[in-house]
Amino acid sequence: MEWFLDPFALGFQQRALAGGILAGLMTAVVGTWLVLRGMSFFGDAFVHGIVPGIAAAVVFDINPLLGAAAAALVMVLAIELVNRQTALSEDTSIGLLFVGMLALGVIIISRVDSYSGSLTTILFGDALGVTTQDLLIQAILAVVVISAATLFYRPLLALSFNADKAQLWGLNPGRAHAALLVLIAAAVIGSFQSVGTLLVFGLLVGPPATAALVSRTVPRMMLTAAIISVFSVWLGLTLSYHLNTAGSATMAIVPIVLFFIVLTFTRLRTLRREKVLSHA
Amino acid sequence: MPDVVIGQNVVIARGTQIAIAASDFTIPQGKITAIIGPNGSGKSTLLHAIAGLLPVSSGTLTVLDNTPLNSQSQISYVLQYTTVPTGTPLTVAEAVAMARYPGLGLFGRASKEDKKNVASALERLKITDLAKRHLTELSGGQRQRVYVAQGIAQDHAILLLDEPLTGLDITSAKTIDSIIHEEPERGCSVVLTTHDLEEARAADHVILTAGRVVAFGAPEDVLTTENLTNAYGLGALHEHLATDLHLPTEHHLGDHSH
Repeated sequence: MEWFLDPFALGFQQRALAGGILAGLMTAVVGTWLVLRGMSFFGDAFVHGIVPGIAAAVVFDINPLLGAAAAALVMVLAIELVNRQTALSEDTSIGLLFVGMLALGVIIISRVDSYSGSLTTILFGDALGVTTQDLLIQAILAVVVISAATLFYRPLLALSFNADKAQLWGLNPGRAHAALLVLIAAAVIGSFQSVGTLLVFGLLVGPPATAALVSRTVPRMMLTAAIISVFSVWLGLTLSYHLNTAGSATMAIVPIVLFFIVLTFTRLRTLRREKVLSHA
Repeated sequence: MPDVVIGQNVVIARGTQIAIAASDFTIPQGKITAIIGPNGSGKSTLLHAIAGLLPVSSGTLTVLDNTPLNSQSQISYVLQYTTVPTGTPLTVAEAVAMARYPGLGLFGRASKEDKKNVASALERLKITDLAKRHLTELSGGQRQRVYVAQGIAQDHAILLLDEPLTGLDITSAKTIDSIIHEEPERGCSVVLTTHDLEEARAADHVILTAGRVVAFGAPEDVLTTENLTNAYGLGALHEHLATDLHLPTEHHLGDHSH
């Protein structure tokens, strides 16, 4: 029992768990739509794209959440600009902004004396440094994100099915897509302090992708992803305590390992079924 | 019989390319209209424009006495099963029930009428027994039946179908074909694209496209050797193909044919 309780005996450890769970719930709901819309590359680029905003916030001593929000806005607008002004494919514009924004972030943070420490905290988070105020902001964002995802359930489901059909059903796919971008931004901004900008992507994609292997409906996929997220956060923090590894990274790697375990089991089950059918 | 769609000097572009050059055409109410033409001739483009998904670059396109955009709520558009991704975890029943979203908004609960519509659509397409199956577990033909069921479950005055019978098994093709012929009896106008000359001949009205509307009107007036040669560019060297296809030899065009 001690093995389970010791990692969360102290206040900062409990806050790390609470922060991770809130991040996990937000990213599970938003990540489900991200995976269904095939926007994983955008998600990856996006979590890196907010780095210059956070870096500028560190340099100018303003709230990192504001910096991240400003960088997210610049990133989305710039991608849209490249898409509209050129015939290049969307992944090219995303790739351009991905590298550009990350490089800009590193350049800005390199002006700070504690350069490597600040960069590590931005990229990999500081799960054990989460404050009560951070938790409060995260909780508010989590309520907003999960409520908005529920509000936009039908437009987002229709958009995932087919954008033309969504328009014909009067569900405005453009507005639904814009809402999804805002939700992704809110989930990432609300999670980066716990798990870092780099590793929040693990929670955005890992649990929904694993849930997709075993879910037959979107609500079940969201629920399964949320359960996997919470389990990953708890197991990640527990393992990091006992193995003395980085908390955020251990949290982020658990859902990826789970994905391959579930994939192996589902493939084996399919193969067994096919074998039974071929004998029948 | 009034026309539900009237195109006058309509030009439709896809990006910088003109997909349909200046064309006139009509689509009659309560009839089956087939749009036929070679690959890339603008068949799907025409359907997209009628559905209000593509703007008209110039000319006038009237749908149900209004602009295509304003008529969208009365149009049901069935896409080809190959163009809809199957990654979204949806059961057959859920996919068909999505057709009732226009009347339900963001939170409205499905009424008895909505559920009846969905059940009837599943039954008419003979997929009631597949209701709980996942879309990825279906064959191409079964999936196309799901999308047609989705199309008829939606309230509509015009049913657009993009190559509804292409590449289907016999059961699915026969089931969908019967829906195509039942819909006009319910007062609905059906517009479908096809590559099959026989399918076009079986329609009440035909639009022949080749980067523009080559001709429109009754099948016997439109599907003439001359028009098909114009549209498909078979030319003198391929005269025997036209004979093999048993194309009509009359070169006259009907009143509406262009």
